[in-house]
Amino acid sequence: MTDCGCEKAKQDLEEYLHNELKGSDADDIREHLAWCTECADEHHVGRVLTEAVQRACRETAPEELREQVLSRLRGIQATH
Amino acid sequence: MSLAEPLTRPAPAVLSPVPAPMWTRRERGSAQLDLPLMTTSEPESKPEELFEEQALPFMDQLYAAALRMTRNPADAQDLVQETFVKAFAAFGQFQQGTNLKAWLYRILTNTFINTYRKKQREPYQGTIDELEDWQLGGAVSTTASAHRSAEAEAIDHLPDSAVKDALQAIPEDFRMAVYFADVEGFSYQEIADIMRTPIGTVMSRLHRGRRMLRDRLTDYARERGVLPRDPGSTT
Repeated sequence: MTDCGCEKAKQDLEEYLHNELKGSDADDIREHLAWCTECADEHHVGRVLTEAVQRACRETAPEELREQVLSRLRGIQATH
Repeated sequence: MSLAEPLTRPAPAVLSPVPAPMWTRRERGSAQLDLPLMTTSEPESKPEELFEEQALPFMDQLYAAALRMTRNPADAQDLVQETFVKAFAAFGQFQQGTNLKAWLYRILTNTFINTYRKKQREPYQGTIDELEDWQLGGAVSTTASAHRSAEAEAIDHLPDSAVKDALQAIPEDFRMAVYFADVEGFSYQEIADIMRTPIGTVMSRLHRGRRMLRDRLTDYARERGVLPRDPGSTT
């Protein structure tokens, strides 16, 4: 096994995080992260950032919006 | 071709909101062409029922995205409403079995560009993709290794409002790339389709957008004393 090295890992970390790397490309990064603390920490910050955005962006549409949409859709149907 | 493909391009015809009503496609030649709602013995679901069943469950998600785009609840509601009306009218062109969510997001994005962005008069951002990282600030991580776990810890504990404010502060194309990838989990290819940009532009927007977001969040944490100030920092 040859390690891909920090430079390559850092370059690909974001794609790895977003599941854009397939097969052996993903394996290379995974193996590197298993022993390189620095890259693993960097990856951890990336994951925490994604989770923070996910958490902050959760929304529920207001009930009035739901009603407005339904009434507009049914209005369109009625005119056809 | 330049990578600077702003979101401001006019929408291509494929998503323009003037498709034929869906039932004229399904019931072409039928005597009931103008009265589709009066046929009660139709064996399969009517398209309008199918639409309500399949598309309406995405309302919360579309509303959340619309809020990030328009940055205010009233415009977000209008945008979602317009999106559903257009999607409903174009539903006959949607191919069952393909990605409905991505299709809806494309309509949302186009509608936003064609109506709300003009109204909001955001400064033109079309050239921002061409800016070098140093011009955008902080694109190269200077975080010392020892600080990284503290940084992760700080970001993890930030209030949602701080994260939202930071997102709102970064340029729209970057903000939406981050939103589509990190919140919605769209693939880079799907984001390229939604934003109508080459995949390289998506990657660059995502990278820079996340970098800007991270810098803003760590600044926020530093200002509140959650993180120590950078020794070499001038801020």
